Amino acid sequence: MTTVDTARLREPSKEELLESYRVMRTIREFEDRLHVEFATGEIPGFVHLYAGEEAIAAGVCAHLNEDDYIASTHRGHGHCIAKGCDVKAMMKEIYGKKDGLCHGKGGSMHIADLDKGMLGANGIVGGGPPLVCGVGLSAKVRGTKQVGVAFTGDGGSNQGTFLESLNLAAVWNLPCVFVVENNGYAESTSTNFSTRGIDIAKRADGFGMPGVVVDGHDFFAVYEAAGEAIRRAREGGGPSLIECKVNRYYGHFEGDAQTYRAPNEVENIRRERDCLDMFARRVTDAGLIERSELEQIDEEVRALIDEAVEEAKAAPEPGQADLLSDVYVSY
Amino acid sequence: MSAGITVGVVANPASGRDIRRLVAGASVFDNAEKGNMVRRLMTGLGAAGVDRVLMMPAGDGIAESLTRNLRGRTGALREQPLPELEFVAMPVRNDAGDTVRAVAEMRERDVAAIAVLGGDGTHRLVARHCADVPLCALSTGTNNAFPEMREATVAGLATGLVATGQVERREALRREKVLRVGVNGAARYDCALIDVAVTRERWTGARALWHAGEISEVFVSFARPNAVGLSSIAGLLDPISRSESCGMHLRLTAPEEADAVLRVPLAPGLIVPVGVEEARRMYPGEAFPVEADGCTLALDGEREIELGPGDRAEVRLEVDGPLTIDVDAVMELAARRGLLNGM
Repeated sequence: MTTVDTARLREPSKEELLESYRVMRTIREFEDRLHVEFATGEIPGFVHLYAGEEAIAAGVCAHLNEDDYIASTHRGHGHCIAKGCDVKAMMKEIYGKKDGLCHGKGGSMHIADLDKGMLGANGIVGGGPPLVCGVGLSAKVRGTKQVGVAFTGDGGSNQGTFLESLNLAAVWNLPCVFVVENNGYAESTSTNFSTRGIDIAKRADGFGMPGVVVDGHDFFAVYEAAGEAIRRAREGGGPSLIECKVNRYYGHFEGDAQTYRAPNEVENIRRERDCLDMFARRVTDAGLIERSELEQIDEEVRALIDEAVEEAKAAPEPGQADLLSDVYVSY
Repeated sequence: MSAGITVGVVANPASGRDIRRLVAGASVFDNAEKGNMVRRLMTGLGAAGVDRVLMMPAGDGIAESLTRNLRGRTGALREQPLPELEFVAMPVRNDAGDTVRAVAEMRERDVAAIAVLGGDGTHRLVARHCADVPLCALSTGTNNAFPEMREATVAGLATGLVATGQVERREALRREKVLRVGVNGAARYDCALIDVAVTRERWTGARALWHAGEISEVFVSFARPNAVGLSSIAGLLDPISRSESCGMHLRLTAPEEADAVLRVPLAPGLIVPVGVEEARRMYPGEAFPVEADGCTLALDGEREIELGPGDRAEVRLEVDGPLTIDVDAVMELAARRGLLNGM
């Protein structure tokens, strides 16, 4: 008899489903609103929006405890929200305000909240995986049963840091999960031009860990695969890789003209594969959740984002004194 | 467009990479190898005299691997006659619709056969839309009952011999059985080629089925004891060949409550005890209602249809499934008749 654990992963309860919907809706509203607000020129720096990919952050983070860690990418708002970071403090951070999550010093691309196990968005493509190897080693040595999840893109998966991390996590049998959000483009370069016909999931085999591909628009597919991978990591089974095939709704960054995309590419996906629409249809068809319960969440989230933007705009800027705080060196 | 004999090729970029890699110990069947397989298939087709290959333009590396492989031919390999390669002119959406659109175009273009590289799920999809175009069923995974794991070069030869009429269809083809699934009155809502399972899992989730404890019923069109997957339950109990005009319906229960318990290879690397409460043969046309709420129907090992309150499903066995090329039979005939003799 095999030793494979076939105990079924518990299906999400109604409350958990509602919470996952709220997470996905919050990410969507947050990003859609930033898409509008960024165009006004009020937001400093760059923003890279996560809209369209919400099912991945929500489906993965639904299995994580507060003391588990995630390492994010330059497209990090969704991961932040799904890991439980304060949405209003996030918005202030993106506006560069003093009361922001990182006192306005990180902005969109370096937003972090260590108290929530969010190791940070990361301007370095492929910068997250080595961080979760560190988290994984710490958890393993201390025997804490914590898990580290690194989100990476298809572009990041070609970085040496990603491949070295797979190797390190495999040889040390670390409690890590590598989630590749393959949205088809590394900035503007199609994945078909940047990889020579080798699946990203297949790379896991080469390092001695399981690799699996799921539909990144399908919350339930991500939820199940992530649940198994995280359970495996937590129980000492070692690392694994999940490649999520997905589409981003906006450009690589706000302002990207996206001339590299096919006409109607995004419209078709929005119409047929939208993660929120599919989720809503399935949970209501199943008779588990009423449409009105979802609409109530939509309303609450809209109000939350309205307030977050309003408060962020009104929040104080950092002053001169803040220049010398939160730095490693005393001047 | 030049006249001549055309064979279609559908290579599914999404097969061979589901959650069984994580939970059961299967490995990823990479797309570069699928591209290589198509090249080897083309060698067999070319040797048998096929003029043209009309291929689904799959993304994710298959076409790239194939064109790289073709470009890289040197020496003796370059001397081998190969069919012209043409990709179906269609937008690629990277979903099941790609296969449906490609097969429709292949039928329109009167292909003599379609070679399918994929798992049970890919074959199920092609079978729904290919009418009587014969299929050469090639496995690109580790968990398949319908397609065969065999060398593409030989499969290409056999397909080519049939496509060019050197071996007659009546000698080479077999008519497969099919399990038709009706949902809420639509009798042909979907189909399966080997098995339909009713599972108490509410969501299609990561698709593949491997929790034996949640499966309440299984319908199989044929059952081999040496198979891996759901059909092996029936195969270990009472084997049914591909050609017999019957299938089997099983009701499962917890092993500790069952009279008959079998150790079943449910997925690669996964052998689990399965309790059988009742097993009976299914005959063509007989409808078996599925009474279930909050469950999913798995077709050929993948959860596909979520059933909610009020949904009604039924399963029936039919003997009008797709035509497939019996590669072993064709190669036997080729040897006996000397079809491949000479330079």
